[in-house]
Parts: sequence; C-alpha cells; structure tokens
Amino acid sequence: MWGKGILNGMRITMRNMLRGPITVRYPYERVTLPERARWAVEVVRDESGAHKCTACMTCVRACPDHILDLQFTTAEDKSKHIDYLRYEMGACMMCGLCVEACPFDALKMGQDYELAKLTRDELTVDLLVDVAAAAPARAKKASEVPAGGTDDSRGGGTDG
Amino acid sequence: MTEPHFTVTESGLMTPEGMYIPGEPPKGIRRIPKGVDRLGTEHLIVNMGPQHPSTHGVLHLIVELDGEEVVTVEVSIGFLHRGIEKLAESRRFDHLGTLMDRGDYVSVIHGEQAVALAVEKLMEIEVPAKAAWIRTLTAELTRLASHLVWFGTFGLDTGAMGQFLYAMRDREVLLDILEEISGQRMMFNYVRPGGVVADLPTGIESRILSFCDTFEVYLEEHDALLGGNEIFQARVKGIGVVSKETALAFGLTGANLRASGLGFDVRRDRPYDAYPELEFDIPIGTIGDSWDRYTVRMEEMRQSLRMIRQLVGGMPGGPFTAKVPKVLRPPAGEVYASVESSRGETGIHLFTDGGTTPYRMHYRAASLFTCQLFEEILPGHLFADACMLLGSFDIMLGEVDR
Repeated sequence: MWGKGILNGMRITMRNMLRGPITVRYPYERVTLPERARWAVEVVRDESGAHKCTACMTCVRACPDHILDLQFTTAEDKSKHIDYLRYEMGACMMCGLCVEACPFDALKMGQDYELAKLTRDELTVDLLVDVAAAAPARAKKASEVPAGGTDDSRGGGTDG
Repeated sequence: MTEPHFTVTESGLMTPEGMYIPGEPPKGIRRIPKGVDRLGTEHLIVNMGPQHPSTHGVLHLIVELDGEEVVTVEVSIGFLHRGIEKLAESRRFDHLGTLMDRGDYVSVIHGEQAVALAVEKLMEIEVPAKAAWIRTLTAELTRLASHLVWFGTFGLDTGAMGQFLYAMRDREVLLDILEEISGQRMMFNYVRPGGVVADLPTGIESRILSFCDTFEVYLEEHDALLGGNEIFQARVKGIGVVSKETALAFGLTGANLRASGLGFDVRRDRPYDAYPELEFDIPIGTIGDSWDRYTVRMEEMRQSLRMIRQLVGGMPGGPFTAKVPKVLRPPAGEVYASVESSRGETGIHLFTDGGTTPYRMHYRAASLFTCQLFEEILPGHLFADACMLLGSFDIMLGEVDR
C-alpha cells in the first residue's frame, strides 16, 4: 500500500518524541570530559608551584605547527634560565605531540574547554616567564634513572 | 523573446557581432551559455556553491540549465586547498597523521591508518595484534560515524529534515566513545606507525557494546523512516545510474563502486590490520542508482556493527604499539598503502630519501574521483535531483582539495 512507509515513519517519529531529550543544557549543565580529553597545553606544576621544564627544546621541535616558542639564556655557570615559553593557543590544533615528546613530563593537555577570549592577543599565552633556574628536574630525573643507558624507544605498553 | 547572444555551429560559436570563435571553448573558463533550446531562449548558467549548503563543503558547480534540466556541469574544486601533500614534506613520519586528520575530516582514522600502514611497510615494522585490532575497531566506529553524517545529510538533500537530527544523536554517542579512546572528538591523532598512542581505556568495551545494542534498533528505525518512505523512494530510485563501465572508467571505489555491482573492497581484497580475521559481507548493488548507493551504505553500517561486536569480543592481549624508534627514519624507497575509508580507497604513496620527512607524499582521495563523475552523471537530470545526487555519492571536499 502506498503511504504505508510514511505512516510507519510517523509512528517512529512519535516513538522518538517520547524518548526524552539528549542534549546538555550548557551552561546550566556541564559535560564531564574523559580523562584523555585534549585541550590547551598547560605546564605541569607541583604543590609548591614548581615546574619541570629544563628548556631542552624537545616540545618546540616536536610541534608540527611551530607554535611553541622557548627562549632561554645560559648563565655563566652553564645553567639555563628561561626567558619565556610562549604558546599560540589560537593556532594550536591540540594534537598532543608536544606533551608526548616532553621527556620530563613538564607539559600536559588541559581539560578546560572554555577557551574563548575577547581579543586575539589573549590567545598568545606565556606558559613560563622569566624562570631563573630551569634545571632541577633534569638533576632529579638523572638521580631517578638507574645507570645503564637510556631507553631509546617509545616503548611498548602492555594491557592491564 | 530575447535574441541569443551566441549561435552554436558545428565547429564553433558565432557571436552576435559576427565574430567566429572556432572550436569548443576551453574547459573551466567558459562562462557563456553553450546552447539555446528549441524556443530560442538562452540556457541559464547557475553557479552552485562554493557556499551552497547542499554541496557538502566548498564544491563549486557551474551548471547549465535548460529550464529545470541540467545540460552541462563543470566541477570547480580547490576552495579548501591547504597543500597537505606539500606540508607533508616538512613533517616527521609520526606527525603525518595530524595532516591526514584534516584531509577527510569526517572519517579521520582511515587517513591516519593509511599513513601508518605506508610507513610500517617501508620500515618493515610488525604491528602487534592488539594494536591492529584497536585500529580496526576505531576505524569501524569512525566508518559508522561517517556514514551517519552521510545518512543525515542525504536526508536533508531529499527533504527529510528530522533524519539529520536522529543521525547526529547517534553520532554523538560514537564521538563520545572515540573521545574517550583518543582524546578528541574529530582530529583523533590516535593511530601511529607501529600501533596506537594509548591502550583502550578500561570499561570502554561495555560502552561500545551497549551502543551497538541501542544503535541496532535505531539503525532499523532510520532505515524504515527514510528508506521505507515512498516519497524518498520515488526520488532516488532510478536516478543517477552509474554503470559498471562508467564506475570503472572514473576509478570509483568504496560504496559508490559497489552500488554499481562491482564488489571491490580493500578490506577484503587487500586486507590489512585485523580484517583478515573478521567475518563480514560486502554488500553489492545491482544497477548503480541512488537507491543502490543508499542500500549499500545502510548495509555497510550493519556490517560495521557486526565487525565491532567481533572486535570487542575477540580483542587480543599484548602491547598496543610495536617498539619503534622515537624519530622514524625509513629507508629510501617508495611505497603505496591503502585502506577502505568511508568514501572509498584512501591511499598513501610515499617516496622517501632516507631522511626523517617524506620526499614526496601523494594522497589518493576517493572523493576526487567521485567529483569528476558529476560532469558525466548530472546532465539529463532535473536540477533538484542534482542536490540529491551530490548527497548520494557522499563526497568530502576536505580530501578532494586537500
């Protein structure tokens, strides 16, 4: 019978009407992001506010879009002093390659998804500014890693 | 009645001033009506796109109309060109996925998978079983998400508005699952040469299975709501027939080829990752009209569901990535690897010179081949059917222009 499919479609539409809403009423309700959600890059800081960056430039080289900018000066005693670690959030595609590359776990992908800014300038974020000493993490890691060479591969994880 | 500006002769055009332009006007720059109809009225040139909502991106069609009927079509592409192939020459091999994500941005895992397979072939990396299964699982989830976008927009193109909302409802759950696995909703950057970035999160299996259970019901509802509708059937049946010969001549792949009755599927004919171990059928159409393309894609979604169940049920243990060097340096050479993406065969042709970046990367995008078909298929159809036909072929301008 011609029209049977249309009537069946109306029945399905009525059934869907009774299924209730599925939308999240943002900003009255918020979604919970999964653990791995990748948003803007942030610097990992411990309770005392200390960071782990050693100015090794790995993240700057890893970034496919060249949006990380790290400037440092080397003092007379060969210690590195970070002038700034600048991050162009507006150009970031949040791929997480800088975080994966960081050998000192100094960076992480944030979970804040409300990243809108009023001006373009605010999209350029200085993650680190004028940090006097950028080496303690390196010394700490050197003391942690047992002697016997470095792990040269990305490593295969195992399940569970 | 207005006088026609141009007179078409056997060998060229005659302008009203009496100037003779021999030969066919060069393709792509013709903006003058080619012919006149029986009444002596000029044909109308309509620029469809590049901001037309039903061109599914920034496709520009220069359509010559005789009343409501399409006479000729010129496909004008390149509005979304970002130079992905050139950019790839300055990207490390494990970073190519971020570029491929921006190619076909609705079925992104397939692009990443193609790059990863190419690099693995070149470096002879053996992918652990678990990595291959996770990749296949995410690829099938992505195929479902991508086909849902096609299904929703195909509904829009044929005038069924509600369809789109139901499709997006189901896709939302899929994107949530993929976000939980990879960390993002669209640009996953999850598949790398050697495996995947991270293991499946705990508890995701039950979420995927519960999605499968609900979606199985919803999929039949979708099919009944759109495919069962007689108005829809009247609009798509017998429209836009692509014969086997045409499909082969234009290099169609994927569901568009299978709708024409040719059963080529990269997953079965050049198996990769976990597909050799899976049971699935390849749906094949009969005459290659829009209805066949619809039924083939709907059946593909059912087969994807079947595969996802097998993948979750038989997920092997072991490492999720092979031991690969931090900086990949494949030997100098040439390799081609392809996967079955939602739109057809997505292939990566890599040339390497022994460095850390490709010497040249060619991206075989299935939609580019489909796009060229429009000049052949659209003429003779009504203009209203042109929109529907664009929807039935499921093109993705991100990978056409790349």
